Amino acid sequence: MVEATKKRNKVFDYFCTDEQFSGGVAWCAGCPLELTARFVPKVLGKNMVFVGTPGCAAPVLHGQNIGAWHKLSYLSCVMTGVASSATGLSRYFRRTGQDATVVCFTGDGCATDIGFQTLSGAAERNEHIIYLAYDNEGYMNTGNQRSSATQKGAATTTTPVGKVGRGKPTASKNMQMVMLMHKPKYMATATLSHLEDFAKKLQKAKEKSKEGFVYLHVFSPCPVGWRIDSNMTIEVCRTAVRTNYFPLWEAEDGQPRFTLEVANPKPVTEFTKLMRKFSHLKEDGLAELQKQVDERYALLKTLVNAGAQK
Amino acid sequence: MKAKKGKVSVLTGNYTTAYAARLCRPEVIAAYPITPQSEVAEQLSSFVADGSLDAEIVEVEGENSAMNVCRAASLAGARVFTATSSYGLVYMYDTLLETAGFRAPVVMANVNRETPGIHAVSSGQQDMISTRDSGWIQIIVENNQEIIDQIIMSYRLAEDYDIQLPIMVNYDGYYLSYLSEAVEIPEQSDVDAFLAPLKKQPQRPRLIPGASTGCGTHGMEMGYVEARYKHWSALERAKQKVDDIDKEFGEYFGRSYGGQIEEYKTADAEIVILASGSAAGSVKTVIDAKRAEGIKVGLVKQRLFRPYPEERLIQALKGKKAVGVIDRSLCFGWKYGPMCMELKAIAPDIGSMPILSYIDGLANLDITIPHISRVVDEVNAAAKGKAYQDVTWIPME
Repeated sequence: MVEATKKRNKVFDYFCTDEQFSGGVAWCAGCPLELTARFVPKVLGKNMVFVGTPGCAAPVLHGQNIGAWHKLSYLSCVMTGVASSATGLSRYFRRTGQDATVVCFTGDGCATDIGFQTLSGAAERNEHIIYLAYDNEGYMNTGNQRSSATQKGAATTTTPVGKVGRGKPTASKNMQMVMLMHKPKYMATATLSHLEDFAKKLQKAKEKSKEGFVYLHVFSPCPVGWRIDSNMTIEVCRTAVRTNYFPLWEAEDGQPRFTLEVANPKPVTEFTKLMRKFSHLKEDGLAELQKQVDERYALLKTLVNAGAQK
Repeated sequence: MKAKKGKVSVLTGNYTTAYAARLCRPEVIAAYPITPQSEVAEQLSSFVADGSLDAEIVEVEGENSAMNVCRAASLAGARVFTATSSYGLVYMYDTLLETAGFRAPVVMANVNRETPGIHAVSSGQQDMISTRDSGWIQIIVENNQEIIDQIIMSYRLAEDYDIQLPIMVNYDGYYLSYLSEAVEIPEQSDVDAFLAPLKKQPQRPRLIPGASTGCGTHGMEMGYVEARYKHWSALERAKQKVDDIDKEFGEYFGRSYGGQIEEYKTADAEIVILASGSAAGSVKTVIDAKRAEGIKVGLVKQRLFRPYPEERLIQALKGKKAVGVIDRSLCFGWKYGPMCMELKAIAPDIGSMPILSYIDGLANLDITIPHISRVVDEVNAAAKGKAYQDVTWIPME
């Protein structure tokens, strides 16, 4: 037995409940969302309540196919009402002394676009909820349309590449920074390639949600929409971190710190070459993306350092 | 058993609404300010601040969130309250549909206001009319006393185990929202006693953390149809409940409003005016004057807009000689006003008679005594066989 414990992956130490999903749930092959949805309740415990909305998570969370489902309590909303519905639940659970971790589980389209007002409002009111945005950089459930989280130049079905079209003409909304400026009790970025980091952040999120608002931004590449080989998902996550395309950090009360600082970040082309949504980009387009990565990283680093000097 | 005589205060419609809500002990309240509703949210917040109301107040960033907060808390088991008006009501439209579809017993005051392209910050029922098919119970009241009484009755109806539907209590913006009237405020213990039967019924299904409960499951094919059928049936059942609760309220508090519709001097009337809201009070005044002139006229005040009080209307109007309907809103693309249009749908059941449609009182234009007087005269002439105009826009003449 001792030997078995030793061999066990360390991330299991963070689990406080068993698997809440059945086998055979209907996510696409290679989709990181299934792993995320299975992983989150394992760490947060079965008293978590999922508040979801139409999106990639909906068919499973809301039971489109109840032959393969989950055991969690959940509330479904239209996309405009996720953080506000979670507010209603959390206020009442707290008032009546019911132990619950209320988790909004939405894509980037809901978080950065149509549901942003309620997300921002809930953050400002410091509601005791966790808002987890799984960022696949577009409306993937409806067929790969652009969202404001879609990168500049990315080809989507509403920003197609053609004789004239050159993919999305504007840069993505820097949502992590937008949320940092709300000064939530806790916020963090996470992705599946760094699972122990993710688990620690979930644990902290649960603890901090007792004090107020928590935002988690989870990088979640879409094999179908980004045109990635389905066995490469985790590698794409890892490369996003190693190129600083998606740095791993956390912030308590608005003060960010890196949870992983990449010593020698690779060029962003190492990341873009793993998928075909950027395959039409020429040198200038790729240089522009690299510039954005560098600028955003520099801004984050400045904020991290500013805190370190305090 | 009778309720004690309540304290009489002079209150605006909006303050009355806040007092009414407090008496019902809501646990979660969410509201966003909009003219002419804003004092409701203000007053409820001050009740919480002064410790006289123990409720969670969520100062949301928009009406859409107000309804989502209320719907979700209600689905978790809370008693909730909100209030809105006009574009606020329209801004919560998506979740208005959801709230009804989820069968969440939310009680909401809607302060009737226009919803035009032209910026008319003024009274009118267009907001309520435009949310007609949302699956809510919609009730229209006439004065401030009726506001307080109807809100109390609404919790009995909304949270009734056999109903479980949201209710919108509508009162005229400006005319009632800002009008001060003497209002008898029932004693807290009497309101508690009136609402007590809700605690004796089985607990309604609710969302419980960690208990594998879900709200908003995909309803495919027959699952969807069954849910819709149950929702539809609950609305049908609500009609009788409105009458029953009104009767019980009358026996206990000594004030009664007729339930689905209020009839005023209809028993021997030959002609009837159908109106709603604050204008109904003016119609009663005109009726008294016209009866002195020998015209046998009565009023049907339509209180219940959804579900449609079909049976009660047939009962009240059958055998009359003519009806005039005064609408305070429009049914675009259909020439009659909305309430007239709906009355036309039951015309075969009330018998052949002229039904005259009048559009009046849009955008704070008064439905005056002379206007109503003219309506009575024209309906009376039509009853005697004279030619009449189908639709009359009174202010345009």
